[in-house]
Amino acid sequence: MKRSLLAAGGILGVSALLLSACATEPATDDGPVTITYSNFTSAGGNEENLQTIIDAFEAENPNITVDVVTLPYGDYFTTLQTDLAAGTVADVVDTNYDFFPQLASSGSLAPLEVTNAGAYRDSLIDAYSVDGVSYGLPSSFSDVVLYYNADLFDAAGLDYPTSNWTWADEQAAAEALTDSSTGTWGSHQPVSFYEFYKVLEQNGASFLSDDGTSVAFNTPAGIEAAAWLTEKSGTVMPTIEEGQGTADFDTNLFLEGKLGMMHTGIWIFGALADAPFTWDIAVEPGNTQQASAVFSNAVGVSAASEHIAEASLFAEFLTSSQTMVDVRLDTGWELPPISDEDQLAVYLTKDTPANRQAVFDSLDSIALTPLVENGQQEMQDIITEELIEAQAGRKSVADALASAEERINAVIG
Amino acid sequence: MVLPTAVATPPSRTPARSGRNARRPRATIGYVLTVLAFLLPSAVPLALFVLGPMIAAAWISFTEWNLITPMEFIGLANYQELLADERTGEVFLHTIQYIAGYLPLVYVGGLALALALNRALKGRSLWRGIYFLPVVTSWIAVAIVWRWLLNPNNGVVNLALGWFGIDGPGWWTDPDWAMISIILASAWKDLGFVMVILLAGLQSINPELYDAAKVDGAGAWSRLRNVTIPMLSPSTFFVVVISLINGFQVFDQVYAMTGGGPGGSTQVVVQQIYDLTFRYGAAGEASALSWLLFIVILGVTVIQIIGQKRWVHYA
Amino acid sequence: MHSSQRVRPRTVVLHVVVIAGALAMFFPFMWTFITSITPGAGFSITPRLWPEDASLEAYQTLFTERPFARVIANSIGLALVTTLAQLFTSATAAYAFSRLPFRGRGVVFAIYLATMMIPLQVLIVPLFAELKAFGLLNTYLGALLPTFASAFGIFLLRQAINQVPRELDEAATLDGAGHFRVFAQIVLPNIRPALATLTVFAFMSSWNAFLWPLVVLRSPELQTLPIALAGLQGQYTTAWDVVMAGSVVSILPMLALYIFAQKYIIQGVASSGIK
Repeated sequence: MKRSLLAAGGILGVSALLLSACATEPATDDGPVTITYSNFTSAGGNEENLQTIIDAFEAENPNITVDVVTLPYGDYFTTLQTDLAAGTVADVVDTNYDFFPQLASSGSLAPLEVTNAGAYRDSLIDAYSVDGVSYGLPSSFSDVVLYYNADLFDAAGLDYPTSNWTWADEQAAAEALTDSSTGTWGSHQPVSFYEFYKVLEQNGASFLSDDGTSVAFNTPAGIEAAAWLTEKSGTVMPTIEEGQGTADFDTNLFLEGKLGMMHTGIWIFGALADAPFTWDIAVEPGNTQQASAVFSNAVGVSAASEHIAEASLFAEFLTSSQTMVDVRLDTGWELPPISDEDQLAVYLTKDTPANRQAVFDSLDSIALTPLVENGQQEMQDIITEELIEAQAGRKSVADALASAEERINAVIG
Repeated sequence: MVLPTAVATPPSRTPARSGRNARRPRATIGYVLTVLAFLLPSAVPLALFVLGPMIAAAWISFTEWNLITPMEFIGLANYQELLADERTGEVFLHTIQYIAGYLPLVYVGGLALALALNRALKGRSLWRGIYFLPVVTSWIAVAIVWRWLLNPNNGVVNLALGWFGIDGPGWWTDPDWAMISIILASAWKDLGFVMVILLAGLQSINPELYDAAKVDGAGAWSRLRNVTIPMLSPSTFFVVVISLINGFQVFDQVYAMTGGGPGGSTQVVVQQIYDLTFRYGAAGEASALSWLLFIVILGVTVIQIIGQKRWVHYA
Repeated sequence: MHSSQRVRPRTVVLHVVVIAGALAMFFPFMWTFITSITPGAGFSITPRLWPEDASLEAYQTLFTERPFARVIANSIGLALVTTLAQLFTSATAAYAFSRLPFRGRGVVFAIYLATMMIPLQVLIVPLFAELKAFGLLNTYLGALLPTFASAFGIFLLRQAINQVPRELDEAATLDGAGHFRVFAQIVLPNIRPALATLTVFAFMSSWNAFLWPLVVLRSPELQTLPIALAGLQGQYTTAWDVVMAGSVVSILPMLALYIFAQKYIIQGVASSGIK
C-alpha cells in the first residue's frame, strides 16, 4: 500500500515537472530575444554596411539580437525553398519582386502591421501588399537607364540623349557611332526576359494578357519590340560570338571607351566612377511611350516565426530607418525605398553621373515585371531562349515569338 | 586440367561444396560478426544519409510538390508525363552524347599521360603536378578559358584552323557544336584525374612481366597491348564505371560553359532535375526524372559488372 | 654503351609534347592568377598577359574585409575529418568486398554502387529534413555525417585490394593471423598508392563541395570556401579580382596535398610487396 502511494506520488511529481517544462513561455517576453535574418542583398561587398544597420537596431533595441546569415544571390532561393520544405525558415527573410507572390500566396509570410507606411514610396510598398495588407516591406530599389559616353558623342558631333528621345533617335545615334575601323559600337542592350517586357511596354504592347493566363506579345507591336532588341546584334552591338552576353561584357566595353550607349542598371555607377572619359545617363527612350524597368528587393517575416513582433520591428528598421538611408546613400548600395524626396536630394548632388535626376524620372513610368501563378521561372527561361535564337539568326523574330507563345502558354495556362 | 578417371572416392560425411560455395567460409557466428564489423562503418552512413533520402525521393516522385506548399499525391502521373515529354528524351540524348565523346577522349588521353609520366622523365613530379592542376581548378575559370580558346571569331583554335584553310565552327555559340565544346573542355580538365588513377594502377604491375615479354622479343607496342593494358584492366574498369556514373550526372561543366544552351541544345538530365526542383516548382517531377536516370545508370553499371569477367584481370 | 647516354629522338619528342601539354594545362590557372592581381578587374573575355597595375589588393580585401581565414580553417577541418573517415570506411568495406565472401555479396556491392547513382540535387531536400530531425542543422557534424562513407572510395580500394595476391593473405593466415591482422598488416600496406589516391580525391570532394554545405551551414563562422567564394558575387555586380583571388587561394592547398601525396601514389614496385 505504501509503495503504490509512493509510486503514485512519484508519477504525479514527475508529470508535474514535465508539464511545467512543456508550458509555453508567455508571448510578451521581457527576456532577450534572438532573431535570424537570412539575406542575399549584402552579399558581394555590402556585408559591413548591413552590419552597421544591424548594430544601430540592436543599440536601439537592447533586448533583441539579430543573427545574420548571408547567402550568395544565385543560391539564395535554393536555400530558401529548402528551408520552406523543411520548416526551418529564418525569422526575417529577403526576397525579390519575382519570388514574392509565391511566398505570399503559400502563407509562408506573416501579415505586417506597418507603423509608418507613409515612409515608403507608394508603388514599392504596394508591390509587396496583398489585398491592402503588407506581407513584405521594400528594402531597396534600382532601375535601368541609358548610359552614354559623352566624349564619343562629342567626337561624332551628336547631341546627347535626352528624356524625350525615342527608339529612332537612339538607333540613329548608335549607327553614327558604330565604327568597325576603331572597333567602336553604338549601343548595347541585353537580350533577355527582363529587357523584353520593358521594350514591349515602350511600344505599347504587353507581355501577358489581362488575366495573366496567356501571353500577349505575339502581335505586330510585339514583334517590332523584339526586333528592336535582337537586331542590335551585329549592327550596333557585338554578336554573341564576339562575347556579348557574358558577364560584365557591356561594362568592360564601355570602360574601354568602345561603346557609345548601354542599357543597364544604376548599380554600375561605382564601377564607372574612375572612367577616363565623361559619361552620363538618361531615361531610357521608348517608342510610343516610355517605360523603365525597376527592380526592388524586400524583406518578409516568416509566418512560422516565434518572434513575429521583434522580427517585424527589425524588418521595419531595416527598410525605413534613418541609419539605413544614410548607409545606402553614402555607400551607393542601391536606393532606399523611401518616399521622402528631400532625403534623396543628397543622392542627386553626388559625383558622376551628373544627370542623377534621371534615376527618379525613370520611376514616372515603370514597366512592372509580369508575374504568373505557375511557371514564372520557366516562362522567363523560354522567352530568353527564343529571343537569343532570333538574335543568333537561327530563327526569325516572328517564329521565335510564335514558338515562345506556344511553349509559355502551355506552362502558365 | 586432366581429371582422374574411375577413382573410387571414399564416402564422406559432409558433401563437398561446389561452385561459389566452395570458396565461401562456413557461416559461423565469428565469421558473421567479422563481416559485419568490416561492413557496418560504411553501411550505416550510406544507409542513413543516402539510401534513406533515396527512398524519400522515391516517395516524392509520386507527388506534386513545389517545396513551399504541402505535397499532393498524384501516383504515377510524373512518370507518365516524363515518358510522354519529348524533352526527357532530349536531355537523355544530350547526356549520352556527352558521355560518348568524353569517355574515350579522357581515357586515351589519361592513359597516354600516365604512360608518359611513368617513365624516367626529367622533372616528372612537376609535370604530374601541372597536369593535375586543371582537376583542382574551378569550372568558372576553366569555362572562361575554354570559351575564349573556342571563340568562333578570334579564338586560338579557329585561328589555327584558319591557317589550314578550315572555316572553324561556332563552337559553344552553335547548337551543333556546343556539346562538343563542353566535351573537349571536360576531357581536358579530367585528364589529370584519370592519369592519377592509372599511374597508381601501373605501379602494381609486376615488372617481371615486362622482363619476360622483352625476353620473348616483344616490342613496345606489343608490351603495351599484351602486358600493360590487360594488367591495367582493374584500374581501367574503375575509370570506365566511375566515368559513366559521373558522366550520366554531368552538371557543373554544362552549367559553367553554356547553361544548357544555346537553344537548349546542351540541356542535360541533372540540369533539368535542378531546374525542376528549385526553379520550376516541380520537385516531384524532378525526383521521378532522377529515378529514371537511376535505372539507366544502374543498368549500364550492372552490364559492366557482369561483363568484367571477360576482360578484367585481377591478380 | 648504355642507352641513357644516347638522346633518342623519341624521348625528345616526348619531352616536347609533355611540356607543351603542361603549358596548356597551366593556362587557366595562370589566367585565374592574373585576373586576381588586376585591380578592379572586369570579367574579360580576352585574358590579358600581364596587367600594368598589378597589385595584391584583392588578396588583402579577401582576408581583411571577409572572414576568409576562418572560412579556410573550416574547409580544412571538414576536409581532414571527411578524408580520415572515408579512408576508414572505404578500406573496411573494400576488404569485405574483396576478401570476405558471403551470400548476396554481389547484390550488396551493387547497392553500394547504387548510392552514387542519384544526383545530390534530388537528395538534398529529404537529407536536409532528416538532419533537421536529428537536430544537426548549422553544425559541423551535420555537414560531415553524410560524407563519412563514399561508394567511390570503396570501389577504388576494392579494385586495389583485388590486386593484392591472396598468397600474401594465406601466408599470414598460416601464421595464425585473423582477418583483422591480415587487413591491417598485409592488405593496407600493400595498397598505399590507392590509399594516397583516395586521400587526394576525398579531400578534394570535401574541399569543393557546394550544395550540401550551402544548405546545412548558415552561420558565417561555419561557412566553407566554395560558399564564401560564391558570396563574393553580388546580386548585380561582382568584384572579379577578389573572386579570382579566392579561387587561387582555394586551389593552392589542394595542389600542395596532391604534390605531397604523389610520393605515395608513385611508389617503386619494390615497396609494394610483390616479390
